[in-house]
Amino acid sequence: MSESWEPRIVAFVCNWCTYVGADLAGTSRRTYAPNVRIIRLPCSGRIDPRFIVRALEQGADGVLVSGCHPGDCHYTKGNYYARRRYLVFNSLLNLLGLEPDRVRFAWVSAAEGNKWAELVNLTVDAVRALGPLKLYAEPSEAAPVLQSSSEQTAGGMPAIDTELAERGVRQAARELLEGGDAELVIGYVQTPNGTVVPGFVSTPAEAERLVWNDRCVHNLTTYLTGERIGANGKVAVVVKGCDARAAVALMQESQLDRQRVKLIGVECHGVRGECGQLADKCGACELHTPHICDVLASADGAVSRPEAPGTEPTSFPASQRVKAELAELMAMSPAQRLAFWRAELSRCVRCYACRAVCPLCYCQICAADRNQPQYLAPGSDWKGALSWEVTRALHLAGRCVGCGECVRACPQGIRLDLIQSFLADVVQRELGSVSGADPQALPPLSTFRPEDPEEFIL
Amino acid sequence: MSQTPKMLKDLGALAGAIMASGVSVVAPSAGPGPSRFRRLASAEELAMPRVNTQLPPKEHLFPPTEPLLRFRYRGTDVELTDPPLPAEKLVLLGVRPCDAAGIALLDAVFLADPTDPFYAARRANATIVAVGCARADDDCFCTAVGLSPHSSYGSDLLLLPAEGGYLAEAVTDKGRQLVAAHASLFTDAASARAAAPPKLQRASLDGVDEQLQAAFADARWAAIAARCLGCACCASVCPTCHCFDIADEASARSGVRLRSWDACGLEMFTKHTSGHNPRPNQPARFRQRVMHKLSYSVASLGRPLCVGCGRCISHCPVGMDIHQAAAQFATSG
Repeated sequence: MSESWEPRIVAFVCNWCTYVGADLAGTSRRTYAPNVRIIRLPCSGRIDPRFIVRALEQGADGVLVSGCHPGDCHYTKGNYYARRRYLVFNSLLNLLGLEPDRVRFAWVSAAEGNKWAELVNLTVDAVRALGPLKLYAEPSEAAPVLQSSSEQTAGGMPAIDTELAERGVRQAARELLEGGDAELVIGYVQTPNGTVVPGFVSTPAEAERLVWNDRCVHNLTTYLTGERIGANGKVAVVVKGCDARAAVALMQESQLDRQRVKLIGVECHGVRGECGQLADKCGACELHTPHICDVLASADGAVSRPEAPGTEPTSFPASQRVKAELAELMAMSPAQRLAFWRAELSRCVRCYACRAVCPLCYCQICAADRNQPQYLAPGSDWKGALSWEVTRALHLAGRCVGCGECVRACPQGIRLDLIQSFLADVVQRELGSVSGADPQALPPLSTFRPEDPEEFIL
Repeated sequence: MSQTPKMLKDLGALAGAIMASGVSVVAPSAGPGPSRFRRLASAEELAMPRVNTQLPPKEHLFPPTEPLLRFRYRGTDVELTDPPLPAEKLVLLGVRPCDAAGIALLDAVFLADPTDPFYAARRANATIVAVGCARADDDCFCTAVGLSPHSSYGSDLLLLPAEGGYLAEAVTDKGRQLVAAHASLFTDAASARAAAPPKLQRASLDGVDEQLQAAFADARWAAIAARCLGCACCASVCPTCHCFDIADEASARSGVRLRSWDACGLEMFTKHTSGHNPRPNQPARFRQRVMHKLSYSVASLGRPLCVGCGRCISHCPVGMDIHQAAAQFATSG
């Protein structure tokens, strides 16, 4: 550290309270550390966590975020939304191993000039003690390897005959096509090579091509949005329990119209993941029967149209292995965690396969593809990878249903499931929300409660 | 080249000897994430895969992202700095013949006029030691694109599995120099014969280039690519895909111009500023990939730009299969 180093702090503040509070500190002749550069925004609700990451990328040693106290928002409730977002973001920074004092959140009103001055002094002192931001410098320690990664497996394949359910799927597809409820059925077919792949049938006779077995791992709800084959017209889609969660998440966000899209639920007792073993996500499955569907193909061959086919999921489908890995990670020092994630995320080549396969990544233009302004660092080095992965993690927080498609698609085998499982746990514990459960519920970061937790906010 | 055939007993010993001579060895080894080529810290780390690594060695010659130049604003002037050219000498060891051919095809692109200085520097410092395949898996189809599990195309030194080790064939001067530098590891073996290469199942794609050209407007593309999600994993795992994008990572005062991998499977690849996209849907983008690999390149480079490693097939999350797609047009004419 050079003798002349001074912490550079970027402060993102609300125009209506903290900015005026900072002004008051000045007019009151309060002296405080000159290390802070203030960026004024209309509301703490406008302070996107990406801004914070961008500030760190561009050379800030610390970031201060401040807005109006709960109940005092100029726009009534912007800070309530912001509070939830920061809760998740703060947890993510903790998981990634960034020193907690680098990024601080505070409520500072227009009258609290003194609080502002103290906050700045506190932050500058804390960051001075930490030294310059080393996030993007060469790593100081070797990446730890998670012991529990190799210890736990999801278990063996259950001996369940899928043939009867397969007939049920065909029957359901045929009936929907014959009755005019669907013009296209998205299901599974087998290629001449014997690979099971997503397939599309549009006539009752073709329904016989559909297959159902333990190799039907794909989440077909991905085809329902954007410019994909199932995005328009009357469509029926085959869903396992895990896929039904994605359908519910889409319904919560008004992306799936039940009048247009029929769900063919199928009773599932596990699909094969890599190496032909039971897929990791199946180990924690509580949805062998989808909790929502229009037609249900049961394992005994019955085809029914139940009002409530199954019970809603009560938690995110994190496997025992993932839970053990997360426990191991959180027992490490922040520096070790950072070293782990640096090795893990640095493999990212920014191919965006995770985005392409995700049923909930349906934005028409992704922030990653924008270059006017450029929201994300563009490279696939550590800086760029972190920029992208943080953005993706936050955008999916509380929405991700744990279908595991991103991990399956990632050519670099990056453990995106660890990040989303961790955030899902935070969201359930702190905000009481379970993704893909109740179609009437709002996504947790699109709503708030006045009594939401805010212990991390100064 | 009529030399006495040479035998190499142990691949690890060669890795150790090369490292002892101060040259880096990049070879298949275990580590977090998919199996790939890594810089070895010791010869013991070498772990030859049963068939092939999940990722090709391409990233060591053409990294996923690299700086092309750095810039700094000085008043009204801009100061440009060239990043230093890579100078590390390395041996890519344990490359399968398909991947070695992949490197030869990257050469055809990056070393043609105008030569890419970064690739050229890495390539000049690299020696390719290929190891012929003893096994193939279901997705392998090198024989369908004019190669073989024992092909020497792109290798400097080819090691073919044989009784008691590997039969060594020095293909280029670099290969001969490597054998000479570690002569004690290579023994004369006049009577040694390489094991028979594995038999591959997939049909030849010979002549498919013209049939594909004729099928450009074929209605079947829509059905073939209906399930393609446009994730472009195929390009990420491909030993020959070489398209890139250039973007600046900059602050108000300075920045770096980065070149990063790009892929024709992505919507943004051809999207114009106006919003118009000449490849407006995924079938058009998938067709481009098949055409570039198996048709256009035959005209421009004299052979398919696909080496039949099968990674795009194995890895595709929705089971897209370039061989199967092309074969449809081959058989139907």
